[in-house]
Amino acid sequence: MLSVKNLHARVADKEILKGIDLEVKAGEVHAIMGPNGSGKSTLASVLAGNEKYTVTEGEVLFEGRNLLELPVEERARMGLFLGFQYPVEIPGVTMANFMKMAVGEIRKYRGEEPLTAAEFLRMMREKCAIVELDTRMTSRAVNEGFSGGEKKKNEIFQMAMLEPKLAILDETDSGLDIDALRIVATGVTKLRTPENATVVITHYQRLLDYIVPDYVHVLYKGRIIYSGDKTLALKLEKEGYDWLINDYKE
Amino acid sequence: MELLELIRNGEFRHFGGGRIESACGPLAAVDPSKLKMTVASGVSASIVILHTRADETVVDIELEPGASLVVDDLYLAETFAEVRIRQAADSRCRLTTVELQSANADYDIDLDGAGASFEAGGVFVGSDSDHCVVDLTTRHNVPDCTSSSMVKGVVSGKATGEFRGHVYVAPDAQRTDARQQSRNIELGDNAHVITKPQLEIYADDVKCSHGATVGQIDDDAVLYMRQRGLSEAEARRLQIEGFVSDVVMRCSVDESFREALNGCVKTKLERL
Repeated sequence: MLSVKNLHARVADKEILKGIDLEVKAGEVHAIMGPNGSGKSTLASVLAGNEKYTVTEGEVLFEGRNLLELPVEERARMGLFLGFQYPVEIPGVTMANFMKMAVGEIRKYRGEEPLTAAEFLRMMREKCAIVELDTRMTSRAVNEGFSGGEKKKNEIFQMAMLEPKLAILDETDSGLDIDALRIVATGVTKLRTPENATVVITHYQRLLDYIVPDYVHVLYKGRIIYSGDKTLALKLEKEGYDWLINDYKE
Repeated sequence: MELLELIRNGEFRHFGGGRIESACGPLAAVDPSKLKMTVASGVSASIVILHTRADETVVDIELEPGASLVVDDLYLAETFAEVRIRQAADSRCRLTTVELQSANADYDIDLDGAGASFEAGGVFVGSDSDHCVVDLTTRHNVPDCTSSSMVKGVVSGKATGEFRGHVYVAPDAQRTDARQQSRNIELGDNAHVITKPQLEIYADDVKCSHGATVGQIDDDAVLYMRQRGLSEAEARRLQIEGFVSDVVMRCSVDESFREALNGCVKTKLERL
């Protein structure tokens, strides 16, 4: 589904990604961990198509297409979803209106008929339930005045609405209390199918108690320096990164 | 024009001026060149003033003690307007102004009786070479009055938008509460907003605040919406619609009128 080869990217004059290799197949869950500043969020932003970053080398294929030549919205319509670390507030634009347009665009791209108003409302109700969001939230402005927990639940709600093939969740667990973490993580797990895949970027092992990964990768100084199964996350939680990164320190 | 149709066929009563002495349904005045209106003591009324052709207009409104009035002042054509509102004790006025063309709306508010309150919300949208002006002077002539205003502007192309706000607080107008805000978005390098919120205060026991911002489209919000599948153009338009929507939603006439007005606003936003 996703194939990243030797990906290098920079922001302004600073090289942040220095040769990433990553293969994600349908049905898999990958966790990307690593110390602050190692390039985790940059990887997510580059895959989503944020134009702030310049790709200088490497290749990314998504569903067989060269992802790097596509604009942000086309990647989204193909089924790539980014759960933002800091969801953006959009005053005056209701969630319902925003999602109506987004779902409309994505269905059009897939060659599906537009939903009727009734179908759309039913869909919103069902998807709100997945993350235990009050449906009244949908008449509020996008993320405006939402608590930290509501914002992250809202990201997963949007993921549920858009039914992506590949979801990249950038620190969806940061700033969540235990209950919100459980709700968000359970929501993500409910959305798993054999046809889709999830890349979870996280600092903490506890998220992976709920979203059990098939692979855990450690990103350090712009490279994946180590990969393992779910037990790697437990080891990192106990022992930190030192045993891994000592060899890479200057 | 749908708004005109609604005014002609809807529940509005055509109003050519005079004194409102008892409660009545919504009033409407279309392209008045002169309009003089008094709302009697204790009476509540609402009026839509619609400008559909290039004109000059003078509106003179008086609120007697305890009267209450909602004014929606809508500019769909190039108009020079002078609107004067005098408010007696404990009267309330809620003004909404929407400019979708070059227009010059000059509001002059006198709070002449204790307990009077005035509240304004407005938006101007200028495209091409439009020149939109909202000039709002609020005079607190006596103690214990409140006023607040929030005027928004969006300009594109070679358009200019101006907000001139002036709050005057007389020497004995103690316990005045006055706020004014101006928020604007400039689209492109050739569009300009000039905003001048001013305070002139001669009393010492007052709460007054003012502020102004001129910004651009929020790129983070555009990126966020594109990541959900919206095109860049859609994302920009949706953001601007959101920015002006609360002002349009203020218009307090019925739902279908508000929808029609929203349609006019959207049509204008397409031109940005």
